[in-house]
Amino acid sequence: MKKKLTENILDKISIDFLRNQVLKNAYGNDDTVIAAMDPRMLLVWYLFFGLVPWFADDIPFLLGCFLLVALTTKLARVAGMVLFLFVVGIFSQTGYLLVVTLLFGGDASAIGPLLILTLKVATVSLASVTIFSGLDPDKLADGLMWYGCPERLSFSISYAYRMLPLLMEEFQNILLSYRLRGNPPAHHTFAGKVRYLIYQVKIIMHAFYPLMLNTAKRSRTTVEVLEIRGYRYAATNREVKKIKLSSLKLTNNDLLFLSLSFFWVSVTVLISTLI
Amino acid sequence: MNVIEIEDLTYSYPGSGEPAIKQLNLKVEKGDFLAIVGNNGCGKSTFCKTLNGLIPHFISGDFEGKVLVDGLDTRQTDVGTLAKKAGYVYQDFENQILRPTVLDDASYACLNYAMTDYEQRGREALKQCGLEGKEKDYIWQLSGGQTHLLALAGALSLQPEVLILDEPIAQLDPVHADRIYAVLRELNEVYHKTIIVIEHHTEYIADFCKHVLLMKDGRIRWMLPVQEALQRVEELQECNIFPPQVTIAAHRLQKGCGPATGRRLPVTVEEGKEFFAPLAQGKRETTVFAKKTDETAVEFQHVSLSYRTVKGDPCIVFRDLNLNIRKGEKVAVVGSNGAGKSTLMKLMVGMLKPDRGDIRYEGKSISYMDRGELSRKVSMVYQNPENMFIRDCVEGDISYAMEVRGIPGYRERTRELLERFRLTDLGQRDGRLLSGGQMRRASLAIGIALNPEILLLDEPTANLDIATRREIRKTLEEMKEVTKTVLIATHDMQLVCEWADRIVVLCHGEVIADGSRDEIFGNREKTREAGIRPPEIFAMGQALDPEAFCYTVEEFLDWFGERGKENTDEEKAD
Repeated sequence: MKKKLTENILDKISIDFLRNQVLKNAYGNDDTVIAAMDPRMLLVWYLFFGLVPWFADDIPFLLGCFLLVALTTKLARVAGMVLFLFVVGIFSQTGYLLVVTLLFGGDASAIGPLLILTLKVATVSLASVTIFSGLDPDKLADGLMWYGCPERLSFSISYAYRMLPLLMEEFQNILLSYRLRGNPPAHHTFAGKVRYLIYQVKIIMHAFYPLMLNTAKRSRTTVEVLEIRGYRYAATNREVKKIKLSSLKLTNNDLLFLSLSFFWVSVTVLISTLI
Repeated sequence: MNVIEIEDLTYSYPGSGEPAIKQLNLKVEKGDFLAIVGNNGCGKSTFCKTLNGLIPHFISGDFEGKVLVDGLDTRQTDVGTLAKKAGYVYQDFENQILRPTVLDDASYACLNYAMTDYEQRGREALKQCGLEGKEKDYIWQLSGGQTHLLALAGALSLQPEVLILDEPIAQLDPVHADRIYAVLRELNEVYHKTIIVIEHHTEYIADFCKHVLLMKDGRIRWMLPVQEALQRVEELQECNIFPPQVTIAAHRLQKGCGPATGRRLPVTVEEGKEFFAPLAQGKRETTVFAKKTDETAVEFQHVSLSYRTVKGDPCIVFRDLNLNIRKGEKVAVVGSNGAGKSTLMKLMVGMLKPDRGDIRYEGKSISYMDRGELSRKVSMVYQNPENMFIRDCVEGDISYAMEVRGIPGYRERTRELLERFRLTDLGQRDGRLLSGGQMRRASLAIGIALNPEILLLDEPTANLDIATRREIRKTLEEMKEVTKTVLIATHDMQLVCEWADRIVVLCHGEVIADGSRDEIFGNREKTREAGIRPPEIFAMGQALDPEAFCYTVEEFLDWFGERGKENTDEEKAD
């Protein structure tokens, strides 16, 4: 039973699973409320929730912001792995201190600052998660382009998402070759386990060379196709940028979202001044 | 009107002394459907790249002569303008998809060339390629055939006069291949596009193309109408091109003592019916394969497997798969793209674990076997040989598994393997830089290095031209002596017929037929259901005599030739 359990966990964090999560994260939630919104508006929204919490120390305000971004994260239907990483990240940053302080009888004076810090980090992270995970990469790229980021950056974002699964697949195939043909050290004893870990790391390093060569071989076609399909042409043409951005439209939903956020933030500010 | 005019074109790649194309003169009429044939490295792909301006604008080198595409001189026109005249579809279809969704990819070029109606154009191209209704799909949801069609739509969206396709069906099963060619025919006939394909499958050339252009050593040997071109059996074979089997059979018959010497050779089964009509039935000879032991090598018991998808429900590959592979069998696993052939193999080497059910090697469950034990039992050669190369030279790759296991005499065995697979001179080269056939041979050598009891080969002849396929088939035939149980997943029916003694037909993850080749190909319902097609010569034989089961030209001649000989003898006697 125990063996089954460890196998199960290992199975879960296979590269295949990671690849799936990356895709899910990027494209799996294009039908959510968040995904339907205008990326320009969301970037403004993000500017507020990504920056302001750093400069605020007020617990009701931070708590309010946290609740709001938690809600938007829920709305964006973020992939499980990202949330898991978020929780691990928060806990390893400040959360464990908070828990330890609570366990060892820390009083409000100790807990207060820690809670503030944790809330800050959590709010900013969740706001980022909402934007970067809830929006699909192309919309995000369009939004950035509208604010004057170079076309190359926005293309890189969407192309990276296109390449990432391919790279992971390639990597997985090479690792499998090592698994099928390699001879890992036995890992029943503790020393064996250490050797096994070292072996694994070594394999991953070895896999790098074939990975790069295979990817380079693959991308030869891609580069030529980009040329034929006029990528270089588009990068220097203002007209193209205009056409691309013409698909961006502010809707009532966007305004509603902004005003609700604004309203909620005002309420929290009001509450904190009342207290 | 000529859509392409080439005068005295000579081109050599930068840094290479020998020109890839020499003194080439050609005129292609508007509305033609032209097939370019020639052996590997004869300059076919290079030639096609001169048409869309990649040569000389993107790939420099020595360029002499003149290429006119729809009246535009390629040297004076930029790649962008030429792309609207001549669209190019690469053989490597996966890597030419640039965008995440179908419509995005189809309209990408139009957007880049600042056409305001880009979306409309993308939709139009998708419609022409039969991908209507898939606009919002993500590219990883598409099947292999659909990805091909999307690559075609991407080039088509600019509505070029000329479409150039580099081996459009090399990786497809017959159903998908037919689909591609049906689309091409429609583009040619309804939309009046000029189509140029680089193609090895002469059966498709006979069915769909109008002209054939033979290239050899960077020169054009001739350009002829299809009917005429395929008559030149000997000349084609000299260049490693294999005319349709029907044509070869007729040619051999004629060369011997068959009927109507000097008559035009048939190029399709339809024409063959008339040609071979004078031949009556022959004797039935059933091939009897050596009886195999009943000992089970590996067994699938109630295996079910599904994998996660980006969106929605998991995709079920196997529901309740039961399969028994006996020792010493040579099994071919066939079925259309996506039927579960590769997945079956991945389960056998433990790369995937079944959700339910068990896989047992000689009664022992795979979950109780460690890597070492499993690697002695079974070995797998991937579909992409590149993924087999993990060292920096072929020799290192072959010896790797033996070396890390400290097998005594591994150097000796590596040398033996290099020799057996004719790789001795290439031992120090990086596997990735070898030619297609050499890469396959290297990957086979890697696969049998550990002398496994069961060898799994995933599409060993995919992406190879017909001549190299033959070579690999021969290699596989020779390997029969040294391997015990072998499983091949493949679309190559010629390989199936010549090599396998048992055929397992998969369709949507279920075994729908299992038996000898006569049992499988004799059952038209099942073959249609699974989307597999016997070699052309088999269909020819069946059309003449439903009792005839011939899988090779030789068998066909044995069957029908005898009687033909008698006929001519009688005629002579008269």
